[in-house]
Amino acid sequence: MPATEYQGSFLGRISIRRNQVMSMEGNHEQELEDLELFQKHVADRFTLLLSSPPETDPTTPTAAATTTTTDPLLSISWLCKLLDMFLCCEAEFKAVLLMGRDTSQISKPPLDRLVPEFLDRTVKALDICNAIINGVESVRHCQKLAEIAVSALEQKPLGDGQVKRAKKALSLLVTALVVDDKDGYGYKGTERTWSFGRRGGSFANKDRGNGQFRSNSWNVAKNWSAARQIQAMSSNLVAPRGAEASGLASPVFMMSTVIVFVMWALVAAIPCQDRSGLATHFPVPKQLQWAQGMIGLQEKIGEEWKKKEKKGAAGLLEEMQRMEKLGQNLVDFTEAFQFPMEEERVEEVEGQVAELGEICRRMEEGLVPLQMQIREVFHRIVRSRTEILDALDHAGRVTGAPIM
Amino acid sequence: MENEKNIPELKDDDGIPDTGTPEKPVNEVAESPKVDISEEKTPEPETEIMVKEDLEVKNEEPASETVYTLESTSEDIDRFLSSLPQLKAALKDAPKDTSSVDLKNDDDSSKDDGKETDADKDAIAKVSGLEIPDFVEKFVDLVEEKVSKQDSGEGKAKFGQLSEDTAILLEAVDRITKLNVSLYELRSDPIHGLLINYIGAVQQRAMAYLEVEFRTILEETRTKESDRVTDAKGKQEAKPEADRCTLLPESESTDEDDSFPGYPEEVVSNLNNIAKKMISGGCEFECCEIYMSVRRNAFDESLNKLGFEKLSMDEVQKMQWDAIEREIAIWIKTFKQCATVYFSGEKNFVEAVFADYPSISESLFSNLIRGVVIQLLNIAEAVAISKRSAEKLFKFLDLYETLRDNAPAIYGLFPDECANEIKTEIITVRCRLGEAAISIFCDLENSIKSDQGKTPVPGGAVHPLTRYTMNYLKYACEYKDTLEQVFREHSKIERPDSTSRSDFEDVNQSNNNNNSNNDPDQSPFSNQLMRVMDLLDANLEAKSKLYKDISLSCIFMMNNGRYILQKIKSSSEIHQTMGDQWCRKRSSDLRNYHKGYQRETWTKLLGCLSHEGLMDRGKVVKPVLKEKFKSFNAMFDEIHKTQSTWVVSDEQLQSELRVSISAVVIPAYRSFLGRFSQYLDAGRQTEKYIKLQAEDIETYIDELFDGNPSSSMVRRKQ
Repeated sequence: MPATEYQGSFLGRISIRRNQVMSMEGNHEQELEDLELFQKHVADRFTLLLSSPPETDPTTPTAAATTTTTDPLLSISWLCKLLDMFLCCEAEFKAVLLMGRDTSQISKPPLDRLVPEFLDRTVKALDICNAIINGVESVRHCQKLAEIAVSALEQKPLGDGQVKRAKKALSLLVTALVVDDKDGYGYKGTERTWSFGRRGGSFANKDRGNGQFRSNSWNVAKNWSAARQIQAMSSNLVAPRGAEASGLASPVFMMSTVIVFVMWALVAAIPCQDRSGLATHFPVPKQLQWAQGMIGLQEKIGEEWKKKEKKGAAGLLEEMQRMEKLGQNLVDFTEAFQFPMEEERVEEVEGQVAELGEICRRMEEGLVPLQMQIREVFHRIVRSRTEILDALDHAGRVTGAPIM
Repeated sequence: MENEKNIPELKDDDGIPDTGTPEKPVNEVAESPKVDISEEKTPEPETEIMVKEDLEVKNEEPASETVYTLESTSEDIDRFLSSLPQLKAALKDAPKDTSSVDLKNDDDSSKDDGKETDADKDAIAKVSGLEIPDFVEKFVDLVEEKVSKQDSGEGKAKFGQLSEDTAILLEAVDRITKLNVSLYELRSDPIHGLLINYIGAVQQRAMAYLEVEFRTILEETRTKESDRVTDAKGKQEAKPEADRCTLLPESESTDEDDSFPGYPEEVVSNLNNIAKKMISGGCEFECCEIYMSVRRNAFDESLNKLGFEKLSMDEVQKMQWDAIEREIAIWIKTFKQCATVYFSGEKNFVEAVFADYPSISESLFSNLIRGVVIQLLNIAEAVAISKRSAEKLFKFLDLYETLRDNAPAIYGLFPDECANEIKTEIITVRCRLGEAAISIFCDLENSIKSDQGKTPVPGGAVHPLTRYTMNYLKYACEYKDTLEQVFREHSKIERPDSTSRSDFEDVNQSNNNNNSNNDPDQSPFSNQLMRVMDLLDANLEAKSKLYKDISLSCIFMMNNGRYILQKIKSSSEIHQTMGDQWCRKRSSDLRNYHKGYQRETWTKLLGCLSHEGLMDRGKVVKPVLKEKFKSFNAMFDEIHKTQSTWVVSDEQLQSELRVSISAVVIPAYRSFLGRFSQYLDAGRQTEKYIKLQAEDIETYIDELFDGNPSSSMVRRKQ
């Protein structure tokens, strides 16, 4: 795994630099420089993400197909970029925190409080990663439903049988996509309508008890809530002030902010257990200079979210939103369908089916890498957490304060 | 072309109709197909009308003139299907009756012109002259009727027993799928279009019925697990203090669980049958989704039964350690159960249900089980990243061993690519646990170093640090092999303690040079163990200096040394690791302390009995003699008073000490007494100066090291 390979070289660098620097007196300047560079890189990376064109013309599938290089906000490829960026920030952060300095610093105020808080955030981020991997699984489920519809509706001429098949898949799709967050924990209540083979077609069969088909979610604990986790992660997030601002408190704060933002954005995009209230929850304080790109993104996503929250979308993933629109149109079409099909509609439907097919193709290409990347983020966070804990233990020993 | 994609595939899968079906009637018919079919055919225009009428009135009026039954029409259909290739071939070869072709082109396919290739058009044109006999439609009617009946609940599957009706229906579904596929080319044909649409609709309806059936059987026919597995949580609570969870194989339940996932054989074959029909009917995805969703829930339920709960990482970090310990015990049991029973059971099951589709069963299995494995690993990972502390070591090692021992069975179940992914995940968690274990174990060094208390243990007894360390090490050595492995495989981590890093690297180096494990001195674990022992020694040495009395510090060193040696000798693992040589060295150290003690306390005492100054020109100097007795008595009294408060709790050591003291003191005293007591006047003088007989001394020596502060021989004597 790349995570582990990376690990080796990183540790190598730490030890080399620590040994070099330990003896040197004038490393304070170097530290300040590192901090500034880190801040600049974080700022640049988010500005870059913000400048990705947010909109492509979703009505023409060909346009969408040709503009794959520009990634619309919250599309699969955009999320991959976001995660790439996260991994870069994370590596740099660890270097700033642990490399080239006397690690005993991190057991002294204010870091003795800030670092454990940071570690606590990372654990919550791990849970979010798990929930999101799980959420991607449900996106894939939507993809499969859409694929059925596409393969059924591609038949020419369309017959009742295939339309019926498409209709069933599409209504499942639309139900899956339009989930009311406030209805409770994600799609727990709707799992019954999620799958084939339930008597009574695509609609919930009341006589099946709620308990029998619990949450479709895999790795997530029953009462776990994405909203609560994000809120807990950002509740004690305070920018360092005064003298603290020039020390290590700053990068710890920055990295915390980055983690919170990235997790918030993932939760925004991917269906996830209980996201209520997050649309208006802004994890990043608005006045920060270096976070302007992040704040811009946050505002855009927030607006989008508020719009969709009323309708109750399962996730803001760009592909899913388009899928939802097309799905709804095609459901209407299948409901009104009579054999043989009216000629006037053929072209329109064909266009929609083709676009839906294109989205499916993109999901097919993108979801597995996305999932793997989230897993990589997961492993990386675990790894860093361990290293920081080690450093804390060590620092605790040196200063004689019992850590554990 | 996209829309054509499914069709040829289906043909390939089924081997129909081109290759002919193996059923008997087919071959008979195949010899004279045209005759058979043409006899029954009706004029084409009529067919069309009838189809239309029938679509409207089919419910009220089941075949009136000729009595059609599913059975009778089925045979006809089979015959028709098997003759189709020849019919089509004949039509393709024959010069076309152009009227029907023209009609078709004008009418239906004009809108498709852009999309369909000439070859397609040609093919359609060529077979559009095909005549479809009456009974086809009748057959479809009958199937529809059957499906409606079944759908409404009559003849619903009970406990996986397919009713006869259902069995017939399954056959029929097969035929209707074949019809649908075979006649698909005619879908744009103006004459047959409606009928084919009708066939398609009924086929979908039948598929929808099968979906429900498939799910119902999957969900409801499993022998209830609660009947087979006794409540796991209850068992767990019955023995909460089981230290090594690995020692709890629940052999009784595994025997019964061999049947996991617990579907009776005939149910499996029914499921297989339905799956086959669904997949050949083009509903592969629906079938797979149902399987996944039902089996996921079932797995959830099974894990739940074992007491396994989904916990978020965050929750685990906040749990008390004893609660985590309980989760670990459950986890270990669950993981083993999965690795040895559940996963392979699931694999057999999915392979049986999708017997004809190995790639489907493979991907279903991989996706399902990967999810379960990751879910399980998350808990182990959550434990591994929790704050480290000494008492966690053994549970971490339990987890480590469970992963190590059970993972290979899991790898074997997966196809290569997926196995690698799973392997990476498992190894990652194992690494994490291994590194944490090393870090905890090495932390023992630090707890020893930081034990800098300035108060000596009263009486020179065994120090709590010695007890703690040795018991910990003894326990750790029960995991010796695993710890050896952990140190070998995971000790590449940089040790934050820069002072010990260089030794550590040396250790690794020498380990690499000498991979044979025969020499325990070369393994990084025993090196670490040695380091701990050395540190403990150094610490004890420093602590012994806290005693002002050198004799007492010797006793302290003896006590602790003895304790350490006893612990090591009592555990073969740790003994083996430390080696005989080390033990011998230890014993000789102990002897030295013993000698030191003798010298310090008893040689001094014997000094009182020296003959120096006692004789003057052949005569005993009485005042000196009196002085000698006096000082001997006083000193012995003092020694007795102090040293009987000292503690030697090891009985053997205690008696060794007493014996050796007696051996030194008593003969010397006895001979002194024998030689000089005569010089004192019997009576008052003797009474005053000879307070102790040799036997008294022996008694008093036996009172030493009892930790008894009250015994003063003077007081008792009075």
